[in-house]
Amino acid sequence: MNTIPFDPGCVPGPEMARLADPRTIGIAIKRAKRPILVVGAEILKDDLIDKAIEIGKKGTPIAATAHSMKTFVEKGYTDNVFMCNMHPLANNFTRNDWMGFDGKGNYDVIVFLGVTYYWSSQMMSAVKNFATNPLRMAVSIDRYYHPNAKMSFENIRDTEQFKSMVDEVIAQL
Amino acid sequence: MAKEGLFKIGGLENVQINIGKIVSEEDEWEPMGPVPCPEVEDMRHWYMKLLDRYPPFYAPYCDMCCLCTFGKCDLTGNKKGACGLDMRGQQARFVLIACCMGASAHCGHGRHMLHSLIDMFGADVPVDLGTQINVEAPIMRTVIGVKPKVLGDFAKAFDYVEEQIAQMMDATHTGQEGSYLDYEAKAYHVGMLDSLAKEASDMIQMIAFKYPMGADVPLVDIGVGCVDTDKPIILVIGHNVIPSVAIIDYLDEHDMRDLVEVAGICCTAIDNTRYDFKAKVVGAIGRQLRFVRSGVADVIVVDEQCIRADIVEQAQRVQAPLIATNNKALYGLPERSGDPAEEIIEDLASGKMAAVAILDPEKVAEVVPKLAMIMKNKRKNIRTLPSDAEQKEYAARCYDCGNCVLACPQGLPIDRAMQELAAGNPEPMSILFDKCVGCGRCEQVCKWEIPIVDVMQKTALKQVKSEKFKMRVGRGPVLDTEIRNVGAPLVLGTIPGVIAVVGCGNYPDGTEDVYKIAREFALRKYIVVATGCGAMDMALYRNEEGETIYEEFPGGFEAGGVVNIGSCVSNAHIHGAAIKVASIFARRNLRGNMDEIADYILNRVGAAGVAWGAMSQKAASIGTGVEVWGVPVVVGPHGAKYRHAHIGRKDDLTKWDVYNMRDGSKVRCEPAPEHLILGAETVEEAIPLLARLCMRPVDNPSGRQIKLTHYMDLSMKYLGAYHDDWPIFVRSETDLPLARKEEYLKVLEKDYGWKIDWDSKKILEGPLRKQDPQFDPTNLERLLKGAE
Repeated sequence: MNTIPFDPGCVPGPEMARLADPRTIGIAIKRAKRPILVVGAEILKDDLIDKAIEIGKKGTPIAATAHSMKTFVEKGYTDNVFMCNMHPLANNFTRNDWMGFDGKGNYDVIVFLGVTYYWSSQMMSAVKNFATNPLRMAVSIDRYYHPNAKMSFENIRDTEQFKSMVDEVIAQL
Repeated sequence: MAKEGLFKIGGLENVQINIGKIVSEEDEWEPMGPVPCPEVEDMRHWYMKLLDRYPPFYAPYCDMCCLCTFGKCDLTGNKKGACGLDMRGQQARFVLIACCMGASAHCGHGRHMLHSLIDMFGADVPVDLGTQINVEAPIMRTVIGVKPKVLGDFAKAFDYVEEQIAQMMDATHTGQEGSYLDYEAKAYHVGMLDSLAKEASDMIQMIAFKYPMGADVPLVDIGVGCVDTDKPIILVIGHNVIPSVAIIDYLDEHDMRDLVEVAGICCTAIDNTRYDFKAKVVGAIGRQLRFVRSGVADVIVVDEQCIRADIVEQAQRVQAPLIATNNKALYGLPERSGDPAEEIIEDLASGKMAAVAILDPEKVAEVVPKLAMIMKNKRKNIRTLPSDAEQKEYAARCYDCGNCVLACPQGLPIDRAMQELAAGNPEPMSILFDKCVGCGRCEQVCKWEIPIVDVMQKTALKQVKSEKFKMRVGRGPVLDTEIRNVGAPLVLGTIPGVIAVVGCGNYPDGTEDVYKIAREFALRKYIVVATGCGAMDMALYRNEEGETIYEEFPGGFEAGGVVNIGSCVSNAHIHGAAIKVASIFARRNLRGNMDEIADYILNRVGAAGVAWGAMSQKAASIGTGVEVWGVPVVVGPHGAKYRHAHIGRKDDLTKWDVYNMRDGSKVRCEPAPEHLILGAETVEEAIPLLARLCMRPVDNPSGRQIKLTHYMDLSMKYLGAYHDDWPIFVRSETDLPLARKEEYLKVLEKDYGWKIDWDSKKILEGPLRKQDPQFDPTNLERLLKGAE
């Protein structure tokens, strides 16, 4: 397996993401008490929005960052989709007193899909370094190896392979 | 008081008396405020107020610290290193280091120019900005309490900044500061210093070279296609205009100006056009490697900042002699200022030497034009881009390893484009040209040594050659008369805001984004100001009528104006405009009064900066310097690599309490502006965010209505929805967008539980506060009535 970060210079330090298969990641999300899916601008590529909606329909709330909300609206799915900016959102993940979008508390497993690589990498870095007590976990199901996540896919060039991996995650939920 | 003149000292022989400078009493043009020439502790109360409301959020770029021999230390999870500093502290320390680097670049540039200009013109050149500017140096007046009268007076600004930067850099040494908040406070201090250094740097070149000012400055040529390749071409790169001006003067004096092209990249290009309207602008930093590689330039002259570190190698590759003219960037070259010009020309023209350093601008001017004439002839048969056959061969070499994609800062699909090119379709590769930031990292990792930058440029050659646009000359400071016209509408909100497009060219999706941002806000009658790369890049597009943004919109500081302020150092005039609103419109004293003026701007002047392609340490100090004066900043997604953001918490309303100066009461306000610096992933996200950040507590109903209308409209246009917290900005029904007032009242009643009187269509219950025309907001206790 290829463990080079998608941006090879993005080697943060001794703690780097564990490469995980879709099933393992899916189970981790399933077992989470309060998971959340964070999507960004790349959700608009390769029909990933449909995958996000499937995850949303299985009960995981969606934080729609960048301008991804527009496509959720166009797709007619906004039930548990919350429009927000990434920086304040990531800031909230590092705080114990944030009560989440539903007022019931912060989230424990933060799943990233469809976000510009270097942008989400930084946000996962914030989670890794400062959302530690209690531990909140950043998980990437994007097509890149994200060393700042706790668990990540490898770098995947083939779009169909990537989509089938996301499908496998969804199958576990 | 000491007087200037002759004096005698009786009885003393063989005594040497050295007089450094005569200190004469300053005019009492304004009473001195509480914080002239502040040390960090003098302004710490203001910095900490900002940090309390906008606490730092950290996204570490590296989990290690490698700065001392205790290390490497692993700080993951906010652990402490061997020195005791934790991850937060380390991130803030890096923010401070970056700001010190940026401010040093601006200050060093200014100091260097001041020496040169005093050599050229003497120290007594008067500060004469014409009849429409009285407040000539608003930052200098405010921060150090000095009103400069002559060129030499600007040394006081540089003296102060240099001393302060040394103190702040000192704090980053191992075993110094231990609090992340105090590192951040120091970074704010350096941001403030940066703004002062920039103002002084731009002022001195303006008054010495008599740059044009005001809205009616001419349009000049920008774009690769504007450069006349039939003439010898001198390419200047960097940010220090002194050697370029010397070259232009030489060409004029020797009747050669129309025979030779002087084309520029980066801020030297902008400043050249302020001196000589015939100078051409190739473009911003993203065009550097690619234009050099095109081989069009016959001689390359570099000065300082944002120059590629391998520029000598790149120039050699296209057989263009290079001359380094600034001691900050010498590239290991021999310094030849003392040698005869003819000898240097012979060495470079013959190829005996590929590059030299010449630090004397006069000698540069003597060498470069003649050298360009010779090289034009010698280089006429040089071909630098691949031939069609070579292009095919290069594309065929690619075996699709994908290393180029991994190396690309943008992750561009170069691999797929190369495969398409090999199959005979150049279009995908040519599309990447504008999205490419021109760094060349892809070539570094290509195992088959494909010159990817050249291959890409070749596919886009037609497009590149057709790049012929117009940019309005950088016009320097906003006139006092303009401030008189817009001061009230800006503070009341009826001009919805000032959008400042600044910074470098590390854009996430190409140069067009800055054009989109600028045009969207200009069409909505915001005042759009621009400097540096942003000012250049936004000129590279046309509207449906074929007009560039500078042709479509007026150049005045007015609603719907698109104002090219100038180069990076001209940035200071944007802060200066906000300060002038406080001075000219509100009659606040500036002198030694920075906290009050920044507080005024934070609460009243609806402005937001966007550094969409922020890349450098200068961009870090610029952004921090904008923040500290009370203006929020949005950066592009690469900006997350600066490691921090300053995020307001709308869910903690206690942070938004503001004093009413009239009676000392505390007023719980809406979060306006909500953040001081944060990033956005896409331009579609950034645009509504900028509109949101232009709201201020003091907006009157008409102003808030206009701002809210734009914010809601832009949210719907780009995001397809409103942020669910929009009612927080509604103080009464008069704040609501007029065209949809009834619709919004229904939403407020149904979804937010507000009480509405439907007969009068008035809000009875719901808003956080009522709009109060008497509200005079401040965050400073010392400004309250009766305060000491």
